[in-house]
Amino acid sequence: MDPAPEKDQKWEPKIIAFLCNWCSYAGADLAGVSRFQYPPNIRIIRVPCSGRVSANMILDALKAGADGILVSGCHPGDCHYISGNLYARRRFALLKNLLEFIGIEPERINFSWISASEGEQFAELVTKITTRIKTVGPTKRLVKKIG
Amino acid sequence: MEDYPPVELDRKGNGEAMSNASDSPKGSVLVVGGGIAGVQAALDLADSGFYVHLIEKSSAIGGRMSQLDKTFPTNDCSACILSPKLVECGRHLNINLMTLSEVMALEGEEGAFTATIRQNPRYVDPAKCIACGTCAEKCPKKVPNEFDLGLGKRKAIYLKYPQAVPLKYAIDPDQCIWLRRPGRCGMCQKVCPSGAINFDDQPRQIHIEVGSVILALGFSPFDPSILDFTGYGRLPNVVTAMEFERLLSPSGPCLGHMERPSDHKEPRRIAWLQCVGSRDINRACHGYCSSVCCMYAIKQAVIAREHTQGPDLSTSIFFMDMRTHGKEFETYYDRARAEGVSFHRCRVHSILPAGHDDNLLLRYVGDDGRIKQEEFDLVVLSVGLEMDKQAAELARRLGVELDPNNFVATGAFRPVSTNRPGVCVCGAAAEPKDIPQSVMEASASALEASRLLAPARWSETQKKEYPEERNVWAEPPRIGVFVCSCGINIASVIDVAAVTDYARTLPGVVFAQNNLFTCSQDTINQMAETIKREGLNRVVVASCTPRTHEPLFQETLRDAGINKFLFEMANIRDQDSWVHQGFPDEATQKAKDLVRMAVAKVQQDEALAYNTVPVVKRALVLGAGVAGMTAALSIADQGIPVVLVERKDRLGGHARKFYRTWQGDLVQGYLAGLCQRVEEHPQIDLHLETTVEKVEGSVGQFETHLSDGSKVLHGTAIIAIGAGSHKPREGRWNYLYGRHPEVHVLLELDKRFIKEDPALKEKNQTVFILCAGSRVPEKPYCSRVCCTHAIDQALHLKELNPNMEIFMLYRDIRTYGEKERLYQKARENGIVFIRYDLDNVPKVWEEQGNIHVEVKDPILDRPVRLHPDMLVLATAVRPKIDADVVSRAFKCSMNSDRFFLEAHMKLRPVDFATDGIFMAGLCHYPKPMDETIAQAKAAAARASIILAQDAIPAESITAVVEQRKCVGCGVCTMVCAYNAIQLDENSSLARVDTAMCKGCGACVAGCRSDAVTLKNIGNEQIMAAIEATMETY
Amino acid sequence: METLFSQATEAIKREARALLESGEVAAFLGFAKGSIPTVTRPFVARSPEETDKLIWNGLCVMNLANYLPGLLKSLEPARRPGEPPPEGPLPKVGVIATGCWSRNMVIQIQENQLIRERLVILGIDSPGMIDRRKLESLAGGKEIQAIEEAEKKVVISGKGFRLETARQEVLRDNCLTCTHPSPVILDKKIGPTMPERHVHEPFARIEEIERMDADSRWAWFQKEIECCIRCYACRNACPLCYCPTCFVDDSHPQWVGKSVDPVDTAIFHILRAYHCAGRCTDCGACESACPMGIKMRLFTRKLQKDCLELFASEPGLDINSPLPLTTYGPEDPERFIINGSKQQGTQGGK
Repeated sequence: MDPAPEKDQKWEPKIIAFLCNWCSYAGADLAGVSRFQYPPNIRIIRVPCSGRVSANMILDALKAGADGILVSGCHPGDCHYISGNLYARRRFALLKNLLEFIGIEPERINFSWISASEGEQFAELVTKITTRIKTVGPTKRLVKKIG
Repeated sequence: MEDYPPVELDRKGNGEAMSNASDSPKGSVLVVGGGIAGVQAALDLADSGFYVHLIEKSSAIGGRMSQLDKTFPTNDCSACILSPKLVECGRHLNINLMTLSEVMALEGEEGAFTATIRQNPRYVDPAKCIACGTCAEKCPKKVPNEFDLGLGKRKAIYLKYPQAVPLKYAIDPDQCIWLRRPGRCGMCQKVCPSGAINFDDQPRQIHIEVGSVILALGFSPFDPSILDFTGYGRLPNVVTAMEFERLLSPSGPCLGHMERPSDHKEPRRIAWLQCVGSRDINRACHGYCSSVCCMYAIKQAVIAREHTQGPDLSTSIFFMDMRTHGKEFETYYDRARAEGVSFHRCRVHSILPAGHDDNLLLRYVGDDGRIKQEEFDLVVLSVGLEMDKQAAELARRLGVELDPNNFVATGAFRPVSTNRPGVCVCGAAAEPKDIPQSVMEASASALEASRLLAPARWSETQKKEYPEERNVWAEPPRIGVFVCSCGINIASVIDVAAVTDYARTLPGVVFAQNNLFTCSQDTINQMAETIKREGLNRVVVASCTPRTHEPLFQETLRDAGINKFLFEMANIRDQDSWVHQGFPDEATQKAKDLVRMAVAKVQQDEALAYNTVPVVKRALVLGAGVAGMTAALSIADQGIPVVLVERKDRLGGHARKFYRTWQGDLVQGYLAGLCQRVEEHPQIDLHLETTVEKVEGSVGQFETHLSDGSKVLHGTAIIAIGAGSHKPREGRWNYLYGRHPEVHVLLELDKRFIKEDPALKEKNQTVFILCAGSRVPEKPYCSRVCCTHAIDQALHLKELNPNMEIFMLYRDIRTYGEKERLYQKARENGIVFIRYDLDNVPKVWEEQGNIHVEVKDPILDRPVRLHPDMLVLATAVRPKIDADVVSRAFKCSMNSDRFFLEAHMKLRPVDFATDGIFMAGLCHYPKPMDETIAQAKAAAARASIILAQDAIPAESITAVVEQRKCVGCGVCTMVCAYNAIQLDENSSLARVDTAMCKGCGACVAGCRSDAVTLKNIGNEQIMAAIEATMETY
Repeated sequence: METLFSQATEAIKREARALLESGEVAAFLGFAKGSIPTVTRPFVARSPEETDKLIWNGLCVMNLANYLPGLLKSLEPARRPGEPPPEGPLPKVGVIATGCWSRNMVIQIQENQLIRERLVILGIDSPGMIDRRKLESLAGGKEIQAIEEAEKKVVISGKGFRLETARQEVLRDNCLTCTHPSPVILDKKIGPTMPERHVHEPFARIEEIERMDADSRWAWFQKEIECCIRCYACRNACPLCYCPTCFVDDSHPQWVGKSVDPVDTAIFHILRAYHCAGRCTDCGACESACPMGIKMRLFTRKLQKDCLELFASEPGLDINSPLPLTTYGPEDPERFIINGSKQQGTQGGK
């Protein structure tokens, strides 16, 4: 599961992931417990529920320079908070389309459902999106340069 | 009070004991044995209002589990998952931990026992010892370390293991120079900075009064020295599995580098020999199966492969039957095969020196019947479990009866009771078993032990008082960062020293430190001291996952007078070192980033209130089979009302179809008694032909709507909806089922037994097909009970007609534990076992009304044709169809086989991840009657912890509205699933009902005005973390 | 010349005067002449006499819903926070509503910003409103001194020029794609009912942008907002924007920088549009208000298209159907979700 070869060997994407505490964060832990390896580009921020993740947070991460975003929650029907992921699904559907519409590369914005028992799937997912983000290169759009 | 009406005496002659306990029983319990079972029982009792004396004969609790490296099937680090429980036990206000102690006598009777305890001298004053280790460093006497099974060395003054609880040194009187010849050494006394050494320490005899007793005596690994063929003791590279655990363990003698004993080289070829000291009557060992060895051998092979750098480690397991009969075990077995672990179905008859390089030659009979030999660098003997000799003596001393295998005798319907009323048993002392089963029994025994003590609940306990919290609101941040090495779990990949140094440079950080095990009791204590000494007002721990360890560290903050919410964790193990093993630089960088994120976030955190929720003292039990009824009675007997809901129109469930248990007890009589007690119990409100429609609320305050229109308020719920047996009406595994009258699934034959069908005696030949549609891709799991059940049926058929020919077509016989006895008996009785595999499944067809079976005999290597009068199919136990509905209503998850998923496979086997909901019986996984009853009692015990309290802690991280920003649009009220946020009638602005808020944050993300935020997971904190993530880029 | 507009203006004056005279309403919200012929301004008549100033023409582009919550509040007796509202009915307001404005009022009612009972709505079917900029470009930079509007044509004149054009040619873009010109809530209808329009490709421009590659879309987006001066006229004109503190003004948390940094400007436009998701009725007030001619309506239009396609939701049409982001469907499309589960595979999705 080595990171795919890249033209610019020095550049490694940095991915911010917002994972819900009950499913996806637990799935990420399970990937660790099971030693499923994935590229070290991801930085996980634990949130109670995918329904906690707002458009503002995603834009803030892009603004801060994240090359990719992952938001992951419980599968529909599994939400620890009953329906948080279902509201999130609507919000993300619109946000992802809007961001793509204004020219953000689709590869950067990723949403998924990962359950607490899907350690292997989590590792696969991270590997997949890391590879995809590498194909579009470092983020330039919406990155606020300070100074 | 009696548990059940009189039932037939079980095979050991024990009926349910009648009790004549005194009316005012003691409110305390004696737990003997500080392994995982004893610790769990102690915690469950102490949390539900009983004072516990926990007696451990060695210098620290933790038992066998603390010696293990990883645990199957999740590969969880054993010490990591155990450590929080040990620490909790060590710190628990209502657990009196007595180490180096033994029970000498037990007088009195249930409700009022007097135990005589002998406490051996530690020679180190625990009140003074700070576990600095100077004594051991200077002690001149090196001796083999029994914790490492003699593979490593320790000193005469020693700590049992790094995370030991209590974390206090002890002097080994048999080895200490001074104690053997006073005046000769005394080095430890000279160097001890706190003057803790006391050579004059004397044994003490203590009498304690308790209401009941739990024996959690554990097991001993079988000593293979008596088996000459293994070469154990003569050949250095033949080790036991327990020794191999230590060789793998990062805290073991080779620090997790996996070296073989003779030359400290990393082995390239490792063999495991199964059933050493198990399933072996010829060599005068033990007839029973030790239950756990197949899985631990696979685990060791998998972990060994992880340890080696290259892929060229060869791992071979030599076995007779592969017994992967537990939840997720079969998948683990499949995965090990896919990863390259080789499995050889044969018994090795000798291990010989290869004559060079200390290697070993294994001689065995191959599949083709020819003798083969193969060379290995290291041989691991998968030694069985046996009753500890001292423990057996203790049991006898206490008047507790043992079974023929020397385990504590129990019964199918009373799996955690001994013959002596008020004395319970749990764990491997009653039969070899794995950790989750031991934990389950521990909870069950806690319930059983407290059943009669309910009136004395909270009478002997104390309440935890925390120091007043320092108001740090106005202080500038003073952050302490603790970076954990987790043995080598983190440190082998991540440069923890660099991370610690880096942490010191971060804004607000005034203290940073690296620890070997941050969760060990000494570090925890030291952390509290550091917080006070350094005046810290915020803490970050960079270690494992907050999902398991956050509560422990938060408690430490409270103990140090700091609000527990001024705390963050950086997950540098599960989400870093373990998943980037080949990338140390990147992993170290990531660890720094994660620490920086946590530091940035903790700066923004605020002290929060500790909220509570009042508990509705009523339980809802779903399903009125044996599990549900047992759970309901267990709670109702404590005087707590229970609403018992059953989908069908009568009680009994699956058990109505059972003839007898594997121990030989008839089920129907027992069941009738159980049903009668449920029907007559004043505390049980029975709802038949009823289902659950909707569940609202959460732990302490559930509100469940039933299909009969009633609405139940309850504090906890137990789900025991059972399972069914698969009926293969079509498809590949049909085997004439439903098309020939003499083809049955197991329970249909049981029905004929119950009816005493005379036709059964007339059968001349019966064929059983085991794993009929089980352990196949479409149903990958093993149903655990079918081998034993089918063999017992075969034996009963033999009882009915000794001349009947019986053939068992099987893949692996999985009569685990003492059920192996039935397998032996079956073979003695002439039942013929023919093994098949998935490439050669039996063929079944019908000709002129006759059943024809053809199967390839692997020994004869040719097809065998059978013409049975009756064909019995051992089909899978399958989850209930309505499990889905229940799962959705209660918001609790299922695994991929659609059995309910417990909160933790090893240590929380009856809890759901959702607080306040527990599971019991077949809906969790297939299991026999005794295990079902134990699990039901365990679920009742876990529920009792909640029901025993007037209020339980509630969510502190709740939403809060900044009125100034709120416009009253009501979006938050629409997206809240708990009706916790409403528009105020007067102001028309949003207002949060803190007691109802679960802290999900849906309202926060929904609010366009940023008027709603979540305490400590607000936009500010998240922005801080986001921005910190990117800082180095 | 008797036109649709002059007839309507008279009717509005008559109705407004009657409402004020009878005391049924305390104020009437409509339009009055602006400072130049191409501009009108929202106007509150508080006495029967003031209704003479009311006008109605194709340049009445500001969405009156935007002013309603504030106007209603100004008519309530003052009270402290947390004090119960006064007993008895509160003063009412009369207002003109076209299709899109009325839909905005529906949303405001759904979001507790308006009380239907306090409104007397004079419904008027929108004939399509005129884009001031299209007139100006027709005039070729010359000052327009007079505008005459008829049903099908518009005549502009000034010093030395008089130009006639088909009305259709100078309509605002949003009016060209509008399918619901009739008000959905009203108390009295003014003027004739316009037929429900069938727009051939209502989202043609959006689809055109969608077909571009990411780089070209980004270039378009950058070009579109590069002249933004962050005056927030678009926000102020929007009847959906009524947060007490807008995210752009908030410093706690500060999601967007205050400067005209291009990234902050971009994020302002993205979030402004996103806040309108599922609520925007495409009234065009934002574009009409923009002094720089930015077509920011395309961002909300994209969201409008997605809401329709993904959730079959058209904002404001039905007061009883919840706004799309305050509800969910179990089978909402989720083709964009990367499904981690092997067993389940992808579900749903269009």
